[in-house]
Amino acid sequence: MSHETTATEARHALSSIDHRRQQVIAEIDVPRWYWVSVATGWVALGVLAQYGATWAFVAGTLAFGTVHSAVAAWVLSGRHASTSLSIRSELVGRRVPVFVFGFLVGMTIVTVALALIAHADGARNPGILASVVVAAFVLAGGPRLMASVRGHAERSRSAW
Amino acid sequence: MSTAQFDELIHPSTRLSIVALMASTDWVDFSFVRDRLCLSDSALSKEFSVLEEAGYVTIDRPVTNRRRRVRVSLTDQGRAAFEGHVAALQSVIASSESAAAR
Repeated sequence: MSHETTATEARHALSSIDHRRQQVIAEIDVPRWYWVSVATGWVALGVLAQYGATWAFVAGTLAFGTVHSAVAAWVLSGRHASTSLSIRSELVGRRVPVFVFGFLVGMTIVTVALALIAHADGARNPGILASVVVAAFVLAGGPRLMASVRGHAERSRSAW
Repeated sequence: MSTAQFDELIHPSTRLSIVALMASTDWVDFSFVRDRLCLSDSALSKEFSVLEEAGYVTIDRPVTNRRRRVRVSLTDQGRAAFEGHVAALQSVIASSESAAAR
């Protein structure tokens, strides 16, 4: 090697590289519209479950699932929230889809549990009540979940 | 694991920052790099010219929403050079630590 870099300089350079990497990690996200759409769909399904016919609820659930599947591959990669860059897949890994799907499964369980509790408590619209509460969780929790994904990516410093 | 290869072209701090930022992306807008590194357009253009001339980056100018953008990507050669440079920096530190341990 034709250089005379000291260990201190090398450490400084690696630290600078790490800082730049973290600036890209900070861009890992899903678009805000995704959380708004999921929350809106959640409330719509709650309304259908409460007032709609069974077939309408089933059709609504299938439509929600189909639309979600269509956008999931792109949106849940976590690499395209910003239009200014495309983050390398190695940096994001499978964290975003795993975290988000886990979150949505958890929210489904919470919705059912809340609806059952509200129903047992004599609430007039337990399905709608539960879906509105969970939609609020989705809106507030989605961005926090992504912050947690970014923290996870920062901690797994695979390269150096 | 890349072969340690110190790269004089990448090593200057501004250029190292540019390449490090790009190494985590498939492509990046010129403006993103400029804003993160707090550089002027002309200073960044100059650095990109050097890197492009060396075959380390490619520069595209797509038109999206009627706006011309400048997108920059690291080439395979540039990525290999960066990874080799990182390995070289790590080896400098490892050598220093093993010398200190003796």
